[in-house]
Amino acid sequence: MNDLVALSNGLAAAVLQASRSIFGVTARRRTGSTGVHWRPGLVVTADHTVQTEDDIMLTRPDGRSVSATLAGRDPTVDLAVLRVDAGDVPTVRIGDSTAVQAGHIVLAVGEGPRASWGVVSSVAGGRGGTARAVFDLDLTLYPGFSGGPLVDVSGQVIGINTSGASRSQHLAIPGAVVEALLDGLQRRGHIPRPYLGLSTQPVRLPDALRQRLSLEQDSAVIVVAVQSGSPAAQGGLMIGDVIVSLGGASITDPMDLRRVLQPDRVGESLVASVIRGGEPHDLHLRVGERSR
Amino acid sequence: MVTDLSHLVERLRRITAEVADSGASLGSGVLWPPGCVVTNAHVVRGSRAAVRLVDGRRLEGQVIARDTDADLALLRVLGTGIPAASICDSTAPVGSLVAAVGHPLGVRGALSVGIVHAVGPVRLGGRSWIQADVRLARGNSGGPLADASGRVIGLNAMVVGPLALAIPIGEVARFVQAARVSAA
Repeated sequence: MNDLVALSNGLAAAVLQASRSIFGVTARRRTGSTGVHWRPGLVVTADHTVQTEDDIMLTRPDGRSVSATLAGRDPTVDLAVLRVDAGDVPTVRIGDSTAVQAGHIVLAVGEGPRASWGVVSSVAGGRGGTARAVFDLDLTLYPGFSGGPLVDVSGQVIGINTSGASRSQHLAIPGAVVEALLDGLQRRGHIPRPYLGLSTQPVRLPDALRQRLSLEQDSAVIVVAVQSGSPAAQGGLMIGDVIVSLGGASITDPMDLRRVLQPDRVGESLVASVIRGGEPHDLHLRVGERSR
Repeated sequence: MVTDLSHLVERLRRITAEVADSGASLGSGVLWPPGCVVTNAHVVRGSRAAVRLVDGRRLEGQVIARDTDADLALLRVLGTGIPAASICDSTAPVGSLVAAVGHPLGVRGALSVGIVHAVGPVRLGGRSWIQADVRLARGNSGGPLADASGRVIGLNAMVVGPLALAIPIGEVARFVQAARVSAA
């Protein structure tokens, strides 16, 4: 057998292996999505494909339907966890997502099974240092592939694929992020939704201000609303404050705030560096939890 | 692996013909069965077509069978001197490598490599396709979709977005068989 045939057999075996542990997910109109049986009774999928919290139906690999409930979700990383009686459906073999490098050959597997292949085009650390890593993929995520497994050539799952709410992206959330989310879920019984109680808009920082305060970033966010009694209000944040960093991470647009506010930050006190009246101030904000 | 791939592409180029129908439509065809070239019906609309082989020779092909519903046509092409393609009629597993050779957008003998995406209808109740995650273009029509060993498993017929649809070789074989029976 030549190397090409061996690779071909390996890829087919990897798809088969992963397909035994995936569910079809019906939790939105039109196109369904895919879910991965990650831990016993817990199926992970892409959060943006779960548009209902009731009547979630899963399709087992053998085609039978089974109902599921929403165990928790984290929109900041586009992951949702469904609880299901998985019966004899095995959990996936989980690989080491921290070892993934740009150039590795990967497969995306969807319900069916269906598959596509390509390479990891980059492993993005994200801006600001605290953002979770994301795999950029050079492969096609076909309709329904979101929430499905990213599989390495040995058949181990290294991430969850998502085309994002726009359906135009080709990303995977690394397995390590999934593991952290599931650890939190099993420790607390739910996935907390972090909350500060403020609204912001992006704002450009004038060059003179940047030079005077030694700021490298050329944008930040300005506070346009603070809910009374919220963690932001209790921390002393005021309308008009310009937040340049939170918890040590630069804040250049409102999405950066969401990236910092991961579920495991609930209860933590974060330093917010703000500009108020042209002068820098440090405020301490204790991250609250949005009521469920 | 590089050597394996270059052997594969050479093997596929030998059994892939360029099919021109009075200059209007252009596509590919597979030298199979012996003495014939099978291609898509939408590639050859007339009763004759020019068939260009890998070595540059141009031969005349005569259309001896056509099924527009199945999008298949069979041409008799004598004197190629090239052994016919070998085929594999077992279902290709999802994820296995596939290679396509054709003449997309006027590029002769272009190789595309991908994997089997799925096997079955694209829409409920439709015909069954080998759906391949491989980048094809106009001019690949009628050309071979082969497995990693170079055996032809389907005839490329259509592109839907990033997906290539190939007629399973079993269906092609049944068409060829029926054509021979009626020609006998």
